[in-house]
Amino acid sequence: MDDIKKIVKIFHGPQHPGITGNMSVELDLIGETIQRAQTHVGYLHRGFEKLIERRTVVQGFTIVCRICVPEPDPNEENYARAVETLAGLEISEKAKYIRTMVLEMSRIAVQFMWMGGQAGSMGLGLIPQWSVCDRDYMLDLFEELTGGRVYHMYAFPGGVRRDIPEGFLGRLSKLLDYYEKRMTVYDNTFFDNTTFKARAIGVGIVKKEEALKNGYVGQTLRACGIERDVRKDMPYLMYDKLEFDIPTREEGDVYARAMVRRDEIFQSIRILRQIIEQMPSEGDILQKIPKHRKFTLPKNDVYIQTESARGAMSYYMAGDGSEKIRRMQVKGPSLIHGFTLLEKMLVGSELADVAMIMNSLGICPPEIER
Amino acid sequence: MAIDVKGVLSPLSAIGTLFKHPKTITYPEVKREFPHGYRGFHINDLDACIGCANCQEVCMNDAIDMIKSDKEYNPKNGSACIPRIDYGRCCWCSLCTDVCPPNSLKLDKECIHADSSGDNFLYMPKNEKDIS
Repeated sequence: MDDIKKIVKIFHGPQHPGITGNMSVELDLIGETIQRAQTHVGYLHRGFEKLIERRTVVQGFTIVCRICVPEPDPNEENYARAVETLAGLEISEKAKYIRTMVLEMSRIAVQFMWMGGQAGSMGLGLIPQWSVCDRDYMLDLFEELTGGRVYHMYAFPGGVRRDIPEGFLGRLSKLLDYYEKRMTVYDNTFFDNTTFKARAIGVGIVKKEEALKNGYVGQTLRACGIERDVRKDMPYLMYDKLEFDIPTREEGDVYARAMVRRDEIFQSIRILRQIIEQMPSEGDILQKIPKHRKFTLPKNDVYIQTESARGAMSYYMAGDGSEKIRRMQVKGPSLIHGFTLLEKMLVGSELADVAMIMNSLGICPPEIER
Repeated sequence: MAIDVKGVLSPLSAIGTLFKHPKTITYPEVKREFPHGYRGFHINDLDACIGCANCQEVCMNDAIDMIKSDKEYNPKNGSACIPRIDYGRCCWCSLCTDVCPPNSLKLDKECIHADSSGDNFLYMPKNEKDIS
């Protein structure tokens, strides 16, 4: 009876600076220690899967980038590749290189945004100011390449919508040089910061067996020592022709996940440098496709995966012989992390660690709810 | 217990940024330059527009209405209608410009519009000739 009187129920979100989007976590606390956690989603449900069923293949491509706000490009890539697989479209090598480049640029931009969220969740207010600014330089390149900073609408079934502007690869190379130098600053102020280590080491531990059993993906998996990445396990685009490593750690805690993300920034820079060198100067960027009312998909279905910055993003797409998509189901990395993992992991944690743990798992509510 | 000397001292290097020039621009005194190809507001070359309504047909947000034009710009415009975009519905995907047969409808770099009346967000694209 005394324990019942001591339980305090609070809602962490949906409006909360420590939430990585609009979702709430209902917490039962005794003191500062969490006894029970239950996630509540639904604030960001926009009905994407149903919206796409009522649109043609061409129209649907403009919607998918909005499923995951911070990371539109893996969604566009999944959609484009699913339609290409169903329709039997082959894209040119140049288009493959460009799409690979866009995915890696997006990965770096997301990791910078993650850094801001992770540091901000612990009160290190300086890092978000820097990382959002540094991410903006990448968004400047996206703006030049695609016409938009965040919603690119660039990877189209059949290729890409525009060719690379003149001098773009040179500007990208300069930005990569800047990022390599800049990471030393982030190492000094964030990754090697004793405050961050004290808060993050030993917190939010994921065990290897649990990660495999429950199907965790991305850095959550790799920080437990499991080297899994869709780019290596089921290569797509040009990933089988590019050299890169999959960083892993063994500890499985918040700090290990942060270090895996840090190392992935360097791997993305390595991949982009190879793409800059190998980019073909000629080739069609977009295959000829039927007009949008005549672009039909055969009666078939396909399952496509892309490695986003936070883990494997999967699309199931089914066609029914018409110009509309019969069904498209989206499963992002946050679905399993935001429900199964988070509710278990928070039990026994401290209230102050909730935001930090959510950021370390890369939970993206827009992607959970679609 | 060993003290993490590097972890304590290395963040202090951030103090050096106090003396660096900020990277933000002082808008509106300094305006931002948008790159060529930015997906901003629509412009339409009315001398080339044929009023085919391909743009209206492809728009997945039903943001485009074909409106009777005030005068004849192009004798080949059989419908005498030109597109008007509802900027409350438009998502600037630029599919409408992709399907335009005479390539008259385009997206310009201009992207700032403020108005106290919502009706003025039913946007009639500027005539490309009036801009250039």
